[in-house]
Amino acid sequence: MNAVIADALADPTPRSLWSAAVRKLARDRAGLIGLAVVLAYLVAALGVWLGLWATEWAEITGSKWAPVSAEHWFGTNIIGQDIFQRGIYSTATAFEVGLVVAVLAAALGGVLGALAGFFVGSWIDELILWAMGVLDAMPFYLLVAAVAFALADNPWSMHVAMIATFWTTTSRLVRGEVIKLRGMEFVEAARAIGVPPTVTIFRHILPNTTHILLVQMTLAFVDAIKAEVILSFLGLGVKGGMSWGLMISESTLEFLGGHFNNLIAASCLMFGLVYAFNMFADALQDALDPKQVSA
Amino acid sequence: MDLLRFALRKLLAGLPLILGVTLLSFTLMVYFGPDKTYQLLGKNPTPEQIAEIRHELGYDRPFVTRYVEYLRQLVTLDFGNSDSTGEEVNAVLARTIPVSLALELPGFILGNLLAIGLALTAGYFRGGWPDKLIMGLAVIGMSISFLIVIFAFQIWFCTSYGLDWFPVRGWKAENLAEYLRHIAVPTLATMFVALGYSTRFYRAVIVEELNRDHVRTARAYGTPPARLFYRNILKNCAIPIITRIMFTIPSIVIGGALLIETTFGIPGVGKVAYEAIVSGDQPVLKAVVGLTALLFVVTLLITDILYRAVDPRVSIR
Amino acid sequence: MSAAPLLEVDGLTVEFRSLHGPVRAVDGVSFTIGAGETVGLVGESGCGKTVTGLSLLKLVPSPPGRYAAGSVRLSGQDLLAMPESGLRAIRGRALAMIFQEPMTALNPVFTVASQMTEVLRRHGALGRREARDAALALLKSVGIPEPEQRLDDYPHQLSGGQRQRVMIAMALSCDPKLLIADEPTTALDVTTQAQVLEEIRRQQATRRMAMLLVTHDLGVVFETCARAIVMYCGVIVESAPVAKLFSAPRHPYTTGLLESMPRIRDEKLRELPTIPGRVPELHRLPPGCRFADRCPRAKDDCRAVEPQLTTAADGSQVACHHPS
Repeated sequence: MNAVIADALADPTPRSLWSAAVRKLARDRAGLIGLAVVLAYLVAALGVWLGLWATEWAEITGSKWAPVSAEHWFGTNIIGQDIFQRGIYSTATAFEVGLVVAVLAAALGGVLGALAGFFVGSWIDELILWAMGVLDAMPFYLLVAAVAFALADNPWSMHVAMIATFWTTTSRLVRGEVIKLRGMEFVEAARAIGVPPTVTIFRHILPNTTHILLVQMTLAFVDAIKAEVILSFLGLGVKGGMSWGLMISESTLEFLGGHFNNLIAASCLMFGLVYAFNMFADALQDALDPKQVSA
Repeated sequence: MDLLRFALRKLLAGLPLILGVTLLSFTLMVYFGPDKTYQLLGKNPTPEQIAEIRHELGYDRPFVTRYVEYLRQLVTLDFGNSDSTGEEVNAVLARTIPVSLALELPGFILGNLLAIGLALTAGYFRGGWPDKLIMGLAVIGMSISFLIVIFAFQIWFCTSYGLDWFPVRGWKAENLAEYLRHIAVPTLATMFVALGYSTRFYRAVIVEELNRDHVRTARAYGTPPARLFYRNILKNCAIPIITRIMFTIPSIVIGGALLIETTFGIPGVGKVAYEAIVSGDQPVLKAVVGLTALLFVVTLLITDILYRAVDPRVSIR
Repeated sequence: MSAAPLLEVDGLTVEFRSLHGPVRAVDGVSFTIGAGETVGLVGESGCGKTVTGLSLLKLVPSPPGRYAAGSVRLSGQDLLAMPESGLRAIRGRALAMIFQEPMTALNPVFTVASQMTEVLRRHGALGRREARDAALALLKSVGIPEPEQRLDDYPHQLSGGQRQRVMIAMALSCDPKLLIADEPTTALDVTTQAQVLEEIRRQQATRRMAMLLVTHDLGVVFETCARAIVMYCGVIVESAPVAKLFSAPRHPYTTGLLESMPRIRDEKLRELPTIPGRVPELHRLPPGCRFADRCPRAKDDCRAVEPQLTTAADGSQVACHHPS
């Protein structure tokens, strides 16, 4: 039925995908609220990086399991550290993990996907497809654990493992898009006038897949934050810092005493960011979907 | 006969994948994995003792030899004995895999059925309030960490701070009542987490199908909407739905089970595999990873055969 | 006037939501079709002819579509005001539709028999066995070779022409009073086009059903229909018996369409004239006549006042300030 709609709305001057997307996004109230919340979290994270607040996250500033008060907004944990400060500090960790993994996984997936798509059918394509299949066939947590040990407790082992597994989805999508693009006239033209393949890929083809990369980055960001929590709980995640996953892991020691402040604080902070980001990612996906005509 | 030839060809085509997975995991987990030499030795070992242990563990042989030996073990399905406990690896697997399956399958099946039901409901009322409610809840479900769900459910269902109905930890399956008591909370947690993503995926598939021309034809010939959904749409959507279900099987057997088994203290294969990584128990690791790769290839094969069963356009070539 | 016409479309207006706000794909379209009459609905793609055809069965996807005004009366009953359950009893029975793309219009995962008997059993209250026999008879009557084998085929196993014949057989299965054919031959290759068109014409004549043929191809209308309605930009610009429309078109757009038609018997090969300019965008319509910017006869009044459809003594209609 899209044909019908397209037929009815045949628009002889198609506007660029991006300006239409921005306009559509600007009308999406849920998406904008999501974006605002994400930006608020980002400000909190920036403050941590600049050393403006949450500087005493590792200090013992109160008694064990102090209740919620003006001094300790969310109370204190099992050894008397301020839960609010730890929660805010962890926001910075979440952004660091999310951004690093999202950007690098999208970059890797974009480049390898573009290569595979451009040289579709060749040994390069076969090799990249094989690598994607192998990584997809490995159980995620086992791979992360293995990378963690192989890198001998390197603090970046979690990031490496996530990037190594997250790029495959992006790569598949970019590969499909590039296969579509390479049949188009501008690519044919570039080849005809002798532009080398690498230039064609990076100057002409990859820029046309940015909408895929952007959406995949938002998805990877959320996945990375969620994976961090589980990996940190398993002892494979953040090392030498503080994260929501470590807070939750730490909170398991407090359940028997009936103290849930740590769990609730970490859960709510994490849920807030992930939910807001999901709302924004949904809006972005809708806005960038060329198939959707309706506002 | 056609089917058999097809299956053999598919399995053969899966060989590079199995080689890749085993090579990668062998390199990471076995070659770079924890060294058990000193764990197994007493205090102040002599160089001869060290060499002997290293020889026993196979550390002194070259990489290629050890990898080929691994492949031979995989083909014969004989992985020897665990480095940590001395138990035969096959016995370990025979003990733990059924536990994982019994633990994970109910939540997996119920979760997918419920997700398809919710997705059909949302698609049927698309744009209406049931759609908005279901999809709103799905995003919330997607935004909560599996770990938080597990702890929240444990506190809620299994402690005196909540309902205190079920045991928090442990595994007993002597009779049905005990079995149900022990899988209740893990099943609820598994379903809760799967629902968000699955419902969204299935709804997207259904709505895409709804936009197709043949649905318009069906409507133009007076097909009632309910019949359109359960007869036409569901069969048309079968391929993406089957794909998703099949592809989550290998990961739930190991990955999904790991977290549930760790947090609920259940002796399943996920927990065993994780402990094998941490302790460097190579025979167990080799078996788990190799079998997972095999399972993956077999899953691909079954998926292909199922495609043919639901879509006449897919043929076994 | 004789008895009330079979189908009366009055002021039909269909809006679509778009980025630029609501857009009228069909804007106040009125026409009638008598019992047994064959009418062609002609226009370029995007003129609203397909949406008009779908509206007769209330099949415009909604959202984004919306029936903003007007009525579609079949034997006096307004279909647009009817509840879904009532419409289901009419769709495929009194009103049947053939779609443009036979490849996608049939469900790929069900056999021909399954899709045909479904309609027969619902509307004809036939049993399984009877429905299968009826489907077989229908396939035979539309000229499908080896109909017994074809019954158990899936759509992808048939050729494009065969698929469209299956579609026709399905449409005929409940003896509709009105057949709506939306570009039934556009997706087929040229030789098949002629055969399928001939089949539709033959069935229409033997069954004496009314037909609305939606097409961009004036030649098809000339061969098949008694009367033609020309649409441009969501409105009707001219309506007349086919012979009159072709010999003496009154609206300049119709003239342009006729001149751009390739004629095989033309002695000299000359370049086909085209209509200059472009179809205006639906969300940015000019205040006056929608065709004014492309019209050789346009004067100042054309750009200021939108011409209304006026009916001549012989029943033919035109919406133009300066008709020929």
